[in-house]
Amino acid sequence: MKNKSMLFAVLLSSIFSAAHGGNIKVVTTTTDLKSITELVGGNKVSVSSIATGYQNPHFVDPKPSYIINLSNADLFVTVGLDLETGWSPSLLSSSRNSKIQKGSPGYVDASEAIGLLQVPTALNRGEGDIHIYGNPHYWLDPLNGKVIARNIANGLERIDPSNKTFYETNLQAFFQKINDKMVEWQAKMAPYRGSKIIAYHNEWCYFEKRFGLEIVDFMEPKPGIPPSPSQLVKVIKEVAANKIKVIISSPYFTTSSSDVVAKQTGVKELTLATSTNAFDTVKDYFSLFDYDIDHLIAVLK
Amino acid sequence: MPYRLQLKAGKFKEAVGRINPTHAHALPFIDLPNAYVNYFGDGGLNDEGLSLSWLLPNKKFYQELIFQATSGRSESPSFMQSQGNRFVYLGHLKNFFTLNDNATFELGITGISGPNDSSLVTNIAAGDFTYKWKPVKMNTYKSLTWQSEIYYSSAAYTPTVSKKSFGLYSFVDYQIAKRWFLTGRYDYAQKPYDKNIIEHAYSLTAGWDATEFSKIEIEAKTTDYNNQSRFYQAWLRWIFVIGAHGAHQY
Repeated sequence: MKNKSMLFAVLLSSIFSAAHGGNIKVVTTTTDLKSITELVGGNKVSVSSIATGYQNPHFVDPKPSYIINLSNADLFVTVGLDLETGWSPSLLSSSRNSKIQKGSPGYVDASEAIGLLQVPTALNRGEGDIHIYGNPHYWLDPLNGKVIARNIANGLERIDPSNKTFYETNLQAFFQKINDKMVEWQAKMAPYRGSKIIAYHNEWCYFEKRFGLEIVDFMEPKPGIPPSPSQLVKVIKEVAANKIKVIISSPYFTTSSSDVVAKQTGVKELTLATSTNAFDTVKDYFSLFDYDIDHLIAVLK
Repeated sequence: MPYRLQLKAGKFKEAVGRINPTHAHALPFIDLPNAYVNYFGDGGLNDEGLSLSWLLPNKKFYQELIFQATSGRSESPSFMQSQGNRFVYLGHLKNFFTLNDNATFELGITGISGPNDSSLVTNIAAGDFTYKWKPVKMNTYKSLTWQSEIYYSSAAYTPTVSKKSFGLYSFVDYQIAKRWFLTGRYDYAQKPYDKNIIEHAYSLTAGWDATEFSKIEIEAKTTDYNNQSRFYQAWLRWIFVIGAHGAHQY
């Protein structure tokens, strides 16, 4: 009953926030961070995201128009781990807003305290576009969503300490909803644990680990390197040898190379949501996993 | 700094339109437009001084006003360091409009005034226009940029003789596929010392991103002068990226 009351309170505050917007102006780099900030900040925050949900977060163009929101922001939330290194630092410095620069109270690195995967032991350009601090797609594990929410709550409480109790209440409600949804998601995925799949880009390792999948290979021969003919031949052999049912991809990659593999092997192609608002039905951080799990199950059956 | 100001001191590429502030390796062609070279040289305006910019409090569209004062020590065809230590002054207003998620438009105006090699003054007015189409969802696969700049110069060579001239370039850069780019450019240039000497040039550049860290480009160009025969040129460029590199201006 207490949990339901909390959820109701969060829902109400979110609706109020969407309709009116709060006094604390927050800019996030991605839509997942926007969704979580809205859930934690409720009607105290007004949040905008620089990247859209269907955009490759590695390659956002640093349009000057983004600087307008950044120059007025009280809080900036970033995925970190160099995911946005090609665009976010230049936008931040151009904002002339000292409140949100790295090291300031209004700067939140959502990756703090995340248990990172794929931290490289050696750095080499020959390995493609690897991330030196580890794989940055950590929001695709719902339990990491709790760490992100904690970091965002810490940021909000730093710049708006008078509403600490409000943010903590919303945070606990968010934790509870993640816990409840995890039970549902794990139950749905249980029959498919150990399923072998192919992914286009190396961005699913957190999702893979949490839900017990096994990514056998990638369409990209190395991160950021477009699929080569020899890689397609390799993947075609792997699909046949492992009886793989699906190639998963993201809204911002073309399907031309997956089409070749699908035509040769009969494997299904599935574009999943990598972020909130990737598709119309993916309206918040929870529906991101609802969408991905439901669509994945449909092809793994 | 307060009041949305930003101050830079040191050596910097000055805020003349779109080409001058951009590193050569980030331009979609190998040679520089004729008019630009006539006024600013192959190295462009890249000098020591102070730069103060102000982000205007306009919530409708992005506006930035830049004022720069430089020594003129890095000599260019239009400006050089004067014996009286007169600085080269530059003002630039940048206006950036978001038309929709996929398209943007930028309009800029620039004014420059400084000492020239006759120890007198050259004044240049410039305008820039850039339209970009880059679909947000597939921004690494397809894009189009149409960019143009015009320059008008009034250079005093003696106390009574002032030479006026005009030049422009306009290019379209089209991303054919994820790793392939094609750029066509037209140049029109009057010589700053004699506006009756006119150049028309056409160039075509093909670029291929060999990897995320290297790019190969080839360019062919033909130039017609009204006082000499047609001139043909070709270039090949291989760019390597070593180490971290910040984002270029959009």
